[in-house]
Amino acid sequence: MTDSATETVSEGPARASKRPKITSIEVLCVILVLAIIGQTWLQQLLDVPSLRTGATVFVAICVQALPFLVLGVLLSGAIAAFMPARTLRKILPNRQGAAVGVAGFAGMGLPTCECASIPVARRLIGQGVAPAAALTFMNAAPAVNPVVLVATAVAFPYEPGMVLGRLLGSLATAFVLGWLWIRWGKLEWMAERARRRLPDVRPGNRWKTFTETARGDLVDAGGFLVLGAMIAAAMNVLVPGEWFAALGGQIVFGVLVMAVLAVLLSLCSEADAFVAASIPGIPLVAKLVFLVVGPVVDAKLIMLYTGTFGRTFTTRFVPVAFVVAIACAVTAGVLVLGGVR
Amino acid sequence: MRRETQNILLVLLGGALLKLALTSEYLRYVKPVHQPWLIGAGAVMLLLGTIAIWRDLRADQPEEDGHAEHGDHAEHSHSTRTSWILLVPVLTVVLVAPPALGSDSVNRSASRGSQIEARGADNPGFPALPAGDPVPLSVAEFSMRAAWDTEESLRDRRVRLSGFVVHREDEVLLARMMIGCCAADASSVAVRLSGAPGLDQLSEDEWIEATGTLVPGSSTSETNYIAELTADSVRAIEEPSDPYEY
Repeated sequence: MTDSATETVSEGPARASKRPKITSIEVLCVILVLAIIGQTWLQQLLDVPSLRTGATVFVAICVQALPFLVLGVLLSGAIAAFMPARTLRKILPNRQGAAVGVAGFAGMGLPTCECASIPVARRLIGQGVAPAAALTFMNAAPAVNPVVLVATAVAFPYEPGMVLGRLLGSLATAFVLGWLWIRWGKLEWMAERARRRLPDVRPGNRWKTFTETARGDLVDAGGFLVLGAMIAAAMNVLVPGEWFAALGGQIVFGVLVMAVLAVLLSLCSEADAFVAASIPGIPLVAKLVFLVVGPVVDAKLIMLYTGTFGRTFTTRFVPVAFVVAIACAVTAGVLVLGGVR
Repeated sequence: MRRETQNILLVLLGGALLKLALTSEYLRYVKPVHQPWLIGAGAVMLLLGTIAIWRDLRADQPEEDGHAEHGDHAEHSHSTRTSWILLVPVLTVVLVAPPALGSDSVNRSASRGSQIEARGADNPGFPALPAGDPVPLSVAEFSMRAAWDTEESLRDRRVRLSGFVVHREDEVLLARMMIGCCAADASSVAVRLSGAPGLDQLSEDEWIEATGTLVPGSSTSETNYIAELTADSVRAIEEPSDPYEY
């Protein structure tokens, strides 16, 4: 494949001249050589206890989240290649409100954590699914699937209400966000690349479409996921432990701090229940808020939203989602757990 | 960033994940159940990168029919810079290989409250200890029994614990990290050592195996549920390949 066809848009025009040009390949080689030469120096640099802990947590988040992202881009590729827009239109109800409902419950069938559901939602929008329904699916899938609910039950063996509370709180969050989008959401908020309709794939091209879509999504989202993991690892080291200890029984303060912690720590939805359970002396409702907010808004998700849907969408969606998730979690908590405790 | 560079980055990242998963190194970061996922993800990345490289090599001309090609054009102008970040985990894993969490995390999580307290209050009771002298136990199991076992199954029983050394003020702790999914959600459990000579000479983060008996009533809210073990022997061991408790 010739260079001119594959260069990014910004580099394209410079191709006209024939003189050799430094491309990203050469840059990559230089970085790799420098890193190998400077290996000892790199290791010494990281030989400070807090940096070492941060590096371990960073690799841990990457190692834990990347498989789910890979699963997500494979599903996204499969949707692009094998699920033509008209099939999806047949499956989903025409009325947007009803489509949101179907999408929310469909989320129960994708047993992954949040990183997988973003590429899938983006591809659904690309295939002509109503954005409200795709967003509902994206927010419901990581929080209400069987794996996450079982993990929650294991983490709270003496509080069966937490499982039901999480299910209701997260489903409600997904539905409310979907309906809010129908009422006020604008497609223009999403970056052009996210809402571009794909033409129907010709039968002979399916395999190629599958691999190319998955590859493109992985490269796009992977960088943002890694960036999010870096932020989350830094927060993990920087958030003072006293935040947990100072909470005590203060309900309003507890709810707010747990919501902020859910955003900063960026835990996988399959693991957050264990962390929430292990913090003593905090009202259960605040723990539920932690479990409902985390899968919808957290540091690594904010990066992934930005990379997938663009900044305009993220700055509008994230604050609303944060508030809606807290409200739904508190409501579900009061209903299921029988009051604030 | 050029498509070719992206493919190389995918191959490198896939290779790094496979390296972690196929050696026991991944156990420093995640639970053992993640291994098949990790192998799958590494293999898929490697494949997606390789297929794209192979396809580019085979085709002299860019194919104008595949819509994905057009997609690449418009899409990659925005992700040009962020894709470079994929190199960070590759370099971290291959060149730095961060160690498993240790004493720094124990000190960090000290004020986050105790797993033992959170899990213990209304547990349904403990089964009898297995036979043997000493009984090998995990630090978590030992601490739970020390704090909450009304049957006092640990009374007059010698136990063997393994973990790493943490010096806190003038105390010497034997500690382990517990993880629920990955190292990001780790919390610590610890036992205070006493009795054996030379405890002060142990270096921080050194892995040891201690044999001894529980000091009854030492695990209370005043001690933050850190039980005390009167050790009759302490010896250095290799760091286990699976450094966490679950």
